[in-house]
Amino acid sequence: MKLKQNRRTAPTETIIALIDVVFFLLVFFMLIGRMDATAPFEVTPPQAQTGRDMPTGGITLAISQNGGLALDGDALPKSEISAALAEALTKDPALRLRINAHRDADLRHVLPHVSLAEALGFVDVVLVVTPEASAGVGK
Amino acid sequence: MQLARRPRPQALISLVPMIDVMLILLVFFMVTSSYLNLDMIPALRPTDDAVNSDSSAQQRLMIRLDATGTPHLRAQALSSETLDQLLRRSLALDPQTQLMILPSGAAPTQALISLMDRAASAGVKNMRVLQLEARP
Repeated sequence: MKLKQNRRTAPTETIIALIDVVFFLLVFFMLIGRMDATAPFEVTPPQAQTGRDMPTGGITLAISQNGGLALDGDALPKSEISAALAEALTKDPALRLRINAHRDADLRHVLPHVSLAEALGFVDVVLVVTPEASAGVGK
Repeated sequence: MQLARRPRPQALISLVPMIDVMLILLVFFMVTSSYLNLDMIPALRPTDDAVNSDSSAQQRLMIRLDATGTPHLRAQALSSETLDQLLRRSLALDPQTQLMILPSGAAPTQALISLMDRAASAGVKNMRVLQLEARP
């Protein structure tokens, strides 16, 4: 006796749910993340309780623990940083400069750049910090 | 005579390329974005000049940060509690007290930020960070 074979039916699983989840994750990561240029070295910002929300825009000067410099993600020697900042300022006189210094960097690597920015004519210079409840003096 | 109409085949749009593109975008945003919660402390503000112009009338408090990051007032090391008391006492005498911080070049950045943070918490609104430069 020849049995009649059932015709295979197409799988009925819907991929709409998968698309929904992927869309949700995509929007989540787009909203939560910041697309800042990252420095070519590790920078752990200092902690502060009284920091304000980081405004958008501007350029970021990253300073490593050993005093290495990077402007908007590009490593630069110290001798070129002044010219690079001046050039950026000519394009936008109200440009904000964010100084993202490693928390263990000596101040002799950090403060001269604040002075340099002031001398070049920057009027808005901010230090990048991370919020932390247990930051203390004298560590 | 009535002709039987063939049912139209349903239009089928493949969703697989769209899912591929979305997954690529998802991985891109996950890898390239940074998720650190960053704040900022102003180092230079457009209003700084205005604040300095009438600074002659203010009481000034000079605190030195040594190479280890410990704050000193007149060569005396200050603990966190002593510093808080000092700042609050000065502000009670003169709410416009100007805090001048003279840090050692070898002090870590965290020490300066912590001192500025503590002063801001105490209510100091006028802070200056001083630098000593070697004469050429």
